[in-house]
Amino acid sequence: MPQFFLNKRLIVLLVSIIILVALIGFSVRDREKLSWPEQFLKDTTGFVQNIFHQPVQFVAGFVENVNDLQHTYQENKRLKTRLDEYVKLKSEVQVLEKENVELREILDKEKSLRKFDPIEATIIARNPDMWHEKTIINRGKIHGVQKNMAVITSKGLIGKVKSTTQFTSTVQLLSSLDPKNRISVGIYGKKTIYGFIEGFDQKERLLLMKKIPYDEKIKKGSEVVTSGLGGVFPPGLPVGKVEKVESDQYGLTQVAYVKPAAELYDLNHVIVVKREQTVDSSDGAGAEGDDL
Amino acid sequence: MSRLIIPLSAFFFFLAESTFADLFAGEHFHSSRIFVPHFLFIFILFITIFGSTKYGIIYGLIFGFLFDVVYTEILGVYAFLFAFLALVVSKLMKLVHSNVFVAALLSTVAIALLEILVYEANGLIRDTGMNFTQFAAIRLLPTLILNFAAVIILAFPMKRIIEKANFDAE
Repeated sequence: MPQFFLNKRLIVLLVSIIILVALIGFSVRDREKLSWPEQFLKDTTGFVQNIFHQPVQFVAGFVENVNDLQHTYQENKRLKTRLDEYVKLKSEVQVLEKENVELREILDKEKSLRKFDPIEATIIARNPDMWHEKTIINRGKIHGVQKNMAVITSKGLIGKVKSTTQFTSTVQLLSSLDPKNRISVGIYGKKTIYGFIEGFDQKERLLLMKKIPYDEKIKKGSEVVTSGLGGVFPPGLPVGKVEKVESDQYGLTQVAYVKPAAELYDLNHVIVVKREQTVDSSDGAGAEGDDL
Repeated sequence: MSRLIIPLSAFFFFLAESTFADLFAGEHFHSSRIFVPHFLFIFILFITIFGSTKYGIIYGLIFGFLFDVVYTEILGVYAFLFAFLALVVSKLMKLVHSNVFVAALLSTVAIALLEILVYEANGLIRDTGMNFTQFAAIRLLPTLILNFAAVIILAFPMKRIIEKANFDAE
């Protein structure tokens, strides 16, 4: 096929490669918000996806319900044994909550970093190319969603809001391979150990918690929660449990492999966490000056 | 209606990919293998093979760009690759006899090329977190198996839709 490399075609190919590189460069840099044509396209497809998703979810939900029914008996048994534990915990929490309110009154401090407004949302689409683990939810700017808000399910943290349009937003999952995807977390035991969630092990499907001081001893199975030090996420959102600990490639810090608490697949209903108070506010409670 | 049937079915496959990924992918089967659906790309290749090359490339550009905007947020990668591979496949089809089975095999080869090129593109932009052997075992092979099955199931319905739309008349 000699005419394939005719001059004209070759030029078209080269020009399109230049456009491609320019477009990639434009989209990779850290953008504050999407351009309006993108927002328009996303809103329009989001509208159709929302409609398309309803019957699909209905059928999928039905199948799942039938599956659940099969396990009901065993689950019931297990839950009954845990009920007593729950009652004890509940009374403890009530006492602590009351004490917390009283102490806050004494200190004259009403706002807390821990407080947040939940925005409930439904997943309407997921990126089929699974390099960039992103899902689209049906809540956008007009519902109060903003960039960088944490997204959780009832079990724990799943990711953060990457971008928003008027009626939809894109959620970047924890398993995404974005080096900018860093979350400040802590392990709260007798001594608090801080680190960052950075990266995801594709093969073992575990999150990597890095930058842990080398002399800290971490028990297998310890709970990892967000520390709130990054200034983006509220503290206390569960992230996962430690599976194993290794020293990093230079031997200066340790890396903990964390099994995510929340299911990162098979998502349906999620909650966007709108932090009541951000670090920017002048109130004393926001005075943790750690960069994310 | 016959004018609209091609864009509408392309859009349907565009949505179906995301729904498939949402419902059936990854950990749902408790395995680390990644199955990537490429129904839309198969449809674009079939337009190229059984309709016209020109329309195949145009659909590749438009829907590839839509894919970039809505799903990956890295513009240009899929728009370029869909159109480019549609062109390559149309050139290859001139060398072989055009029937459904050859088209199915060629589509699978094109999907393999697409996956490898996207892997390389991602490698340029950021760390992909896996080397080529891992990529081949975890991603490429399962994806090819899934999409080969999809081609076999979808080939005849897709061919009928495209032949009904009658590209030669335009």
